[in-house]
Amino acid sequence: MRRLLTGLWAGLALLAAPVLALDVVATSPSMGALVRAVAPQAQLTVLAGPDRDLHALQAKPSMIRALRSADLLVAVGAELEMGWLPAASSSAANPDILPGREGYFEAAAQVPLLDVGGPADRAMGDVHPAGNPHVDLDPVRMAQVAEALGARMARLHPGNAASYRANARRFAKAVEQRLPQWQAELADAPGAVLYHRDAIYLLERFEVPLLGTIEPVPGVPPSGRDLRALAGKLRGGEGIIIHAPYQSPKGPRKLGRELGWPVETLPLSPPVSADGDGYLRHIDRWVSAVASA
Amino acid sequence: MNQSVTRAALLGALLTPAAAVTAGDADIDALRAELEAMRSQYEGRIRALESRLSDAEQAADVARQAAGADALSLPMTAPRVLRSQSQASGQVPAGSRSAGLFDAVTSGTAFNPQISVILDGNYYQDDTEDGNGAALVGEALQAGGGGHAHDHGAGGHDHGDGGHAHAVAEPGFNLRSAELYFSATVDPYFDAASYITISGDGDVTLEEAYFQTRSLPYGLRVKGGKFLSDFGYANNQHPHQWDFVDQNLPYLNLLGFHGIQDTGVQLTWLPELPVYTLLGAEALQGDQEVFGATLGDTDQTELNLGDTDSGPRLFTAFAKVAPEIGRNHALQIGVSYAHATQHQAVHEHTHAVHEHEHDEHDHGHDEHEHEHEHEAEHAHADEHAHDEHHDDMHDHGDGITEELHRAGLAGDADLWGIDLVYKYDAPGAYGQGDATFQTEYLRSSKDLTVRSSAHPERIGSNRTFTTDGLYAQATYGFLPKWKAGLRYDVLGLTNEVSGGRSDSFGSSERWTANVTWSLSEFSQLRAQYAYNDILVGEGDHGEEREQFSAFYLQFLMSLGSHGAHEF
Repeated sequence: MRRLLTGLWAGLALLAAPVLALDVVATSPSMGALVRAVAPQAQLTVLAGPDRDLHALQAKPSMIRALRSADLLVAVGAELEMGWLPAASSSAANPDILPGREGYFEAAAQVPLLDVGGPADRAMGDVHPAGNPHVDLDPVRMAQVAEALGARMARLHPGNAASYRANARRFAKAVEQRLPQWQAELADAPGAVLYHRDAIYLLERFEVPLLGTIEPVPGVPPSGRDLRALAGKLRGGEGIIIHAPYQSPKGPRKLGRELGWPVETLPLSPPVSADGDGYLRHIDRWVSAVASA
Repeated sequence: MNQSVTRAALLGALLTPAAAVTAGDADIDALRAELEAMRSQYEGRIRALESRLSDAEQAADVARQAAGADALSLPMTAPRVLRSQSQASGQVPAGSRSAGLFDAVTSGTAFNPQISVILDGNYYQDDTEDGNGAALVGEALQAGGGGHAHDHGAGGHDHGDGGHAHAVAEPGFNLRSAELYFSATVDPYFDAASYITISGDGDVTLEEAYFQTRSLPYGLRVKGGKFLSDFGYANNQHPHQWDFVDQNLPYLNLLGFHGIQDTGVQLTWLPELPVYTLLGAEALQGDQEVFGATLGDTDQTELNLGDTDSGPRLFTAFAKVAPEIGRNHALQIGVSYAHATQHQAVHEHTHAVHEHEHDEHDHGHDEHEHEHEHEAEHAHADEHAHDEHHDDMHDHGDGITEELHRAGLAGDADLWGIDLVYKYDAPGAYGQGDATFQTEYLRSSKDLTVRSSAHPERIGSNRTFTTDGLYAQATYGFLPKWKAGLRYDVLGLTNEVSGGRSDSFGSSERWTANVTWSLSEFSQLRAQYAYNDILVGEGDHGEEREQFSAFYLQFLMSLGSHGAHEF
């Protein structure tokens, strides 16, 4: 009996042996890119592609399976994934990655948020008084998030702590280096119309005016009248209209025709396979689109 | 890190006397200088270490605050503290909505549970004579009878559930329910939730109230309390989660309006495998309306059925497997089994007896036809039988009287289920292009013994009643925010009695089509049409069917916090 127990404990000890590479689940490709930048050797699963709305996803068994064995869950946070992530992570029977544990990392909790407060009144649409969650389009905030992520990974996997910190630092440096160039490109940008307030962190970082949103309030598609009112307000000016691939192109195109402005479809996240450089290229794409107005 | 600081400090302290002892006269100045250099060097390093330590502690505090506040309340909220930061930094973006004018100062909800209320109401019409189509679909004929065995209570209704509200739509306006949902993380060890529905008539029903563990190792979770069983796929869904206004025929008839909703414990295991595999088992009290139903005390005595056994009387086991088929697709296949250790039924039938024949008690002339009624007719006969007593006589006025016989049967029951669900998440806006397909097959088999009968020769003989059913339904997002649904459901592909005698009955089926308009994530309007072909009886004159159309207009309003739905 004693031997059996010893054997059992030895087996358990093996199971609990220090990890060689972290098993990380990222909710979006942006978060996946950060994970690759900080921990290139980590085993990574990205739950959603850049062409899907992170707010409208549904919990799926494959997500639960990935979360079951994860050491770390990297979410954008601030209620962006709240329609599915709580269900998926609680079904995963993995206490390590639940909110409140070391294995739960929320990007939005690492940086100051915009749109915080405001009335918690759904007459204003799908509002989130906790703050606008789309922090992943601001490279500076993402650099801060990367450093926080590096620190978190170092705690989870001390054996590789130096490497995580150095990688995070390297990513932050790369953002710093690119920043003047982006700023120069966007210095004279006239502004952009977004479908949803999902790129405001980018616009705010580079001081590009947000000229309006296609949807009158969050989560509610525009009526013809909304679009006419918006067009009336913007007529004569310059700008660009940007929407995500999962947002209906009808409203943006109509507004674009009326104003004679370019309309761009840009994903909020880089491709699923992106790493730190991929993320920077993604920001390049956004910057040159906004600058092209 | 603490350790290295102490070590450095100790080293510094030790080096001072060591240097002093070895000091020679001539070298004193040089040594002193060296010592100074070392001291300052170590002090510098200690300072650096101290500052790194305090940085790390601060970072940990911030992380703990951010995570800790959330652990006990809403899991996904950003810390409130950030608000002052963003305001202080003065980074208000161009065009951002300014907070203040409409801002309400609230006391915060940090420790309150997540609360949501779902209002579910409809307008209903059908073209049956009595407008009772919504009730009829739940009373389709099945061998051995499903329909609410305990409603048979003779005279004194001593079974508590006798008058239970089943939210059956009546022609016109119906408020099916206001559903109150509370959930919270109790502590690091448990989550808990409760669902309470208040029907339009004001009846309050506790649908679910359970805890679930959150920190067991090895992929184990335990749930305890009153909950919807994870048997099958549709069983654990609340009515507002259904793609159709009403429940499918197999669930409605084989399990009842609430499905398997019972008090007990559940253990699930999600092993770490490359393919999602969930295994689970439940032990439940067995307070069921249909599957594993027991009768009231009066009936049990009158019909010689014996008392209700102590629980648990209902056990389930299920396995669900979901192969990986791409990021935007999901497929899950499940197998479920349930066993009720006790099932009781009362079967009623009437004999049309000519007055002059009655004294002879001649029931033998038409045995087959009698049996038909005997084993099946009660499913709806009971509606009219509440006040009838054993061997009641009804004078038809033309020399024919009707005699009601009640027989008591007791035994156990088994239920098998197979389910398959596929979902596609399309890139379109507001659910455009999303598609789902869902199908389940249920097979219920009740193994009963006749305990009492007006025909003594039947007592002790065995009857096995088997009824199965399946549904298949699909939805498709044909426009942003608009979804169409189509469902076919059938009950009684097999619908038979075997054992002491054998017999077989027909099936009931239905086609349903609907359109759902989700104006936002929080409101839905739905129009639904169904063509029903329900077998309500089978007797002397063959099958008795109700064929009718039923029409619903439904609204679903979701108030309060954003709920997260499971797969």
